[in-house]
Amino acid sequence: MKAVEKVLIFDSSSLISLSLNGFFPELKELKKLFGGHFIIPEDVKKEVMDNPLNVKKFELEALRLKELMNEGILELPSAIGISDKQINPITNEMMSKANNMFKTPQGNIKMIHDGETACMALGRILENKKIEFAICIDERNTRMLIENPEAMKELFERKMQTTVKLEKNNFAFFKGFKVIRSTELMYLAWKKGLVKTKANGKLLDAILYGLKLNGCSITDGEIEEMKKMK
Amino acid sequence: MKETDNVLRILQETRDAIEIDNSAIIKDLSNQTINTASLTQDPDNIAVAVIVYALSKIYERKDYRNLPGWGKANSLVKGALDKSIMDLKKNDENKFRKDFEEIRIALEKLSGRLKDYVADVFRKAQVNKASRLYEHGISMESTAKLLGVTMFELAEYAGQTGISEVHGTQTMDVKQRIKIAEGMFK
Repeated sequence: MKAVEKVLIFDSSSLISLSLNGFFPELKELKKLFGGHFIIPEDVKKEVMDNPLNVKKFELEALRLKELMNEGILELPSAIGISDKQINPITNEMMSKANNMFKTPQGNIKMIHDGETACMALGRILENKKIEFAICIDERNTRMLIENPEAMKELFERKMQTTVKLEKNNFAFFKGFKVIRSTELMYLAWKKGLVKTKANGKLLDAILYGLKLNGCSITDGEIEEMKKMK
Repeated sequence: MKETDNVLRILQETRDAIEIDNSAIIKDLSNQTINTASLTQDPDNIAVAVIVYALSKIYERKDYRNLPGWGKANSLVKGALDKSIMDLKKNDENKFRKDFEEIRIALEKLSGRLKDYVADVFRKAQVNKASRLYEHGISMESTAKLLGVTMFELAEYAGQTGISEVHGTQTMDVKQRIKIAEGMFK
């Protein structure tokens, strides 16, 4: 097996935003530029390909995602020599840490599930192997857990109207991951001229709001900032 | 069941709101179970949130009340609510679950346009409550699993709401995040 240099891990939410906006041709072009692997853990595959195959409204999206797997654009961790046997115990440990990190008088808040955690578990394995990686996550809460658990605590307190005590010893399990969203990915695609369309003028605006309105957690302010960066 | 007293109050007030024909009150009541549902992820609280929200949507459509089958369904719903309230007062949770489910069963027995509308309302109620749990900080995948909806449905719905604009949830400067992306593609 050729040495793995870099990996972009996708969680379900980012693939869903890309899928609902029809950005797979751009994803294929990005893969050529990347020169590494686009990896999804088995649990993410179940969530975005296997389960939606039974829901008529999203069957087509699931089939198109399957096609990306068949074409080798998206790969399972086994493609880079990492097995589920290696990932699963770390996933379980991280899930237990995350779901026991925010304590309320009513009990601990169970905030994350297998697919999201498997992405981070895979990240830890890659980190140990000294392989460069980032995780593409569109959903807000897992990203907050990684980047600012204190803000997550405040959100819980505000929304659930309860006191939340943080188990700070568990921070370390989630710290240090590099996280991007589908919006940053598609910003790059746009910047590199990979978004093929005859439309002009508001293309970046259309791309970013398309992703936001299909689930990517990005504020209007962030979008405006990205547009100014061009 | 978690916070039984709160659930009992919500069901009693829902029953009263049906009597005075005020769907706005019912909708508001459905939101009041979300805190407990997101905190404890208790299936009973989640079921109450979904069914009470669905009732608010069904009772707000006054034009459907002239359709055949409405009268019978309406009295079955009220009967099932009354029985559910009694079950909770007697602390009989198993009987409560059975009687409370009767509300959905009664409505799903409707025929024609009403049946289609009710099916659509229940699906949308599940997605709506899933998005509220996500808004409260529970991850997208956990929420989708708890409510039995796909992540596609949830992402599509959540994207149309203001969840991404909630104050205090931006955890990194966007320029820094773009730098990460650019760094990965160098």
